[in-house]
Amino acid sequence: MPTVTIDGKPYQAQLGETILQVARRGGIWIPTLCYHPAVEPYAACRICVVEIDRGGWWQVVTSCNYPIRRDLTVRVNSERAVRARRGVMELLLARCPESPELRAIAARMGVDGTPYPTVTEAQRNCILCGLCVRVCDERIGASAIARVGRGVERSVAAPFRMPSEDCIGCGACAEICPVGTIVVRMHEEEVEISPFKNRVKLKHCAECGRPIGSELVHKALADRGGPTLVELLATEQFCPRCKRKQLAKEICTRHALRDEPASRGA
Amino acid sequence: MSTVGTKFDSAEDLRQYRAHLLAQYDPAARRVRVCLGTGCTAKGSAKVMERFCRAAEEFGQESLVVQAKSTGCHGFCERGPIVVVDPGNVFYENVNEEDVPEIWRESVIGGRVVERLLYKDEASGETATTPKEIPFYSAQQRIVLAHNGVIDPTSIEEYVAGGGYAALAKVLGSKASRMEPEEVIEEVARSGLRGRGGGGFLTGRKWRSARDAHGQPKYTIANGDEGDPGAFMDRSLMEGDPHAVLEGMIIGAYAIGSSRGYVYVRNEYPMAVKHLTMAINAAREFGLLGQNILGSGFSFDVRINRGAGAFVCGESTALMASLEGRVGEPRAKYIHTVESGLDGKPSLLNNVETWANVPPIILNGADWFASFGTEKSKGTKVFSLVGKVKNTGLVEVPMGMTLRQIIFDIGGGIPDGKAFKAVQTGGPSGGCIPAECLDEPVDFDRLAELGSMMGSGGMIVMDEDTCMVHVARYFVAFLKDESCGKCTPCREGIAQMLDILTRITKGEGREGDIDTLETLGTLLEDTALCALGKTAAYPVLSTLRCFRDEYQTHIREKRCPAKECPGLFQYQIDVDLCTGCGVCRKKCPVQAITGERKKPHTIDWKTCTGCGTCFDVCPFSAVVKV
Repeated sequence: MPTVTIDGKPYQAQLGETILQVARRGGIWIPTLCYHPAVEPYAACRICVVEIDRGGWWQVVTSCNYPIRRDLTVRVNSERAVRARRGVMELLLARCPESPELRAIAARMGVDGTPYPTVTEAQRNCILCGLCVRVCDERIGASAIARVGRGVERSVAAPFRMPSEDCIGCGACAEICPVGTIVVRMHEEEVEISPFKNRVKLKHCAECGRPIGSELVHKALADRGGPTLVELLATEQFCPRCKRKQLAKEICTRHALRDEPASRGA
Repeated sequence: MSTVGTKFDSAEDLRQYRAHLLAQYDPAARRVRVCLGTGCTAKGSAKVMERFCRAAEEFGQESLVVQAKSTGCHGFCERGPIVVVDPGNVFYENVNEEDVPEIWRESVIGGRVVERLLYKDEASGETATTPKEIPFYSAQQRIVLAHNGVIDPTSIEEYVAGGGYAALAKVLGSKASRMEPEEVIEEVARSGLRGRGGGGFLTGRKWRSARDAHGQPKYTIANGDEGDPGAFMDRSLMEGDPHAVLEGMIIGAYAIGSSRGYVYVRNEYPMAVKHLTMAINAAREFGLLGQNILGSGFSFDVRINRGAGAFVCGESTALMASLEGRVGEPRAKYIHTVESGLDGKPSLLNNVETWANVPPIILNGADWFASFGTEKSKGTKVFSLVGKVKNTGLVEVPMGMTLRQIIFDIGGGIPDGKAFKAVQTGGPSGGCIPAECLDEPVDFDRLAELGSMMGSGGMIVMDEDTCMVHVARYFVAFLKDESCGKCTPCREGIAQMLDILTRITKGEGREGDIDTLETLGTLLEDTALCALGKTAAYPVLSTLRCFRDEYQTHIREKRCPAKECPGLFQYQIDVDLCTGCGVCRKKCPVQAITGERKKPHTIDWKTCTGCGTCFDVCPFSAVVKV
């Protein structure tokens, strides 16, 4: 069992675990944006960088996907690692200066503003972490949205920026979005995933006619023999709005709608 | 030269076939070699080739064998189209269609030299008949480019006749003499060959890791996604000697135990795709690809994948993502691609030039190869020498040659009597090397120490009229367009750098901009995901290191010392040179120029927008930049 020494303190780790997993277990906070335990690490936001000892020199690596293969010495709070994380945050703040979620994380990191002007355009504070795309692909199996465009033109969209036929309206993308870019809007007959303009018919309560959730989610859950939409929503401790959020969360983290790779634990 | 049906069952078959080809070879036959490389084709060599082919067809004398053939890049692109006549290896430059009858009549048939089309040395005025007498060629050491310009790249027979696939025959020879995979790796490792694509990783070590890696199938991949502005080394190799790349790959695949290979070529290189396709088909037909190669029991096949034009797909993991049919985005390499690459399988990726180095190493031995170059950089390197240099072209020199030798002895120095200012090596992610370092030897480590890199071998020469801020801005703008946008520092950081550099070149620079550029540069180097982002700041950091005063002049004095940034210098009319012809006055779009006919004109700086039209149109060079 390898030992990971973080800022001078030793921690036991499993082979193949990431630095972030070990740090979190040890109660060490490393900021993350594009990381979520429900999906594969993507290492795009670079906000979780730390330094590791490469024998004579220190390398800056992303903690979310650096696999532990042997004993490792890590610096989370060295000057260089902190400067790197803050630098990345400043760039993101320049892109999305209005995002309260981002500013909250920035504040926790000791970043109270950015020296840079806004030079790239973000759709509703989107930081392009790609969590929505990955949850839709890896957990839901719908692949209704994707990253489109290159470089500063990059954005997340459904094909041709048209309403997607593959979206089942589960809202997992909105649930997992760390900056509130994606919003679930309830209309009378349909649920809309904004800003993708994806719309899916709602299932209504047989008794009172109030909307329960997306028809396609209901079908997908039933097809897989999992708990039904009604069952998932039966719990009495949440209001209807929170119930829908809870449902999305369940799908997102526990009840993947597609076959799970054997490697991923719950 | 019909060879249909030839399939080699053993290395001996191949040897016999080569002997048969050489026996057929008539040294007295008249041959015309027309360069159909990138530069020459752009200058119309295809038409020249057509004329020669027609002439050869119409030539009726049976007593004389005549043949016109196209070859890959000769390298001396500046003087193209290039035509070489054999026997005699007579080198003609700047040949156009109208010259064809004369060359045909005099040189090909008559055996006389057409003096006016020979290379003429500027200084001494002496003419050169063969390439060996031309300084551009005489200082070069051609190992990888040995076949370029000599053989017809579409003919496997010519490659075999010239010693091609002999290295493969040596590796897969008869049972007694066959080289074990370990021996092949040892030979490559001992040669000291390092990756020619940019990183400079030891090829032998990479091969060993790929051999040791667990998992099947293993993939062998050639990276032909050359995307650096002004670079055409790999292109010329794939177009001019595709079999060499293939032969290297087959040997590499044998060494690591791989059965499948890919050549990743950018689709902007149609001729490379065509020639490689022909080479693969011919090699299959001859039994050099496919099942049981040369009767050895080893099987390997290659297919071509065309890239869709993303610069980032030259990065190994992005290339593999693209091969998998996904978006060409890099991923973390904490687990190397030799262990988990294409489809999560062990994958051996080498640059096209690296592969082409393998056959000569196997054939002539590691010691022979290691005799070229410096202590830690062995062999030769192909460079595309472009920019403000007299002899634009493709050159191959031993590692360790100085920049001065390459730029001045081979490149002929700077045109128009201008002074050398800097050279950008390593493509857009490389760095600018100033005049003080001209006597530095060119090898992997020394270039890195100078804040640049070997990269894939682009060399862009700049003269005194080049503004270094402008250069940095150009490369950063290129990288901004080519960044995939996956990781924050590359996507946002490059955009921020470009914003600052654009302001500086417009005269809107502020105190503190230089510090911000340096901060961003370090941030990118530390935190970007792939090499594109990590090195994106090199052009900025290297020019800041060597030409900091130029940045400061832009920022503080709002002046461009090299007079390249529009608006940061002014146009003036030299009264002594101006004849008062009035061309500039008529062409000026804002009527900023006044003056009477036949008397010196003047420019009103208040009205002038600095568009440069007067500078371009003046027939007497009387408009000057101040």
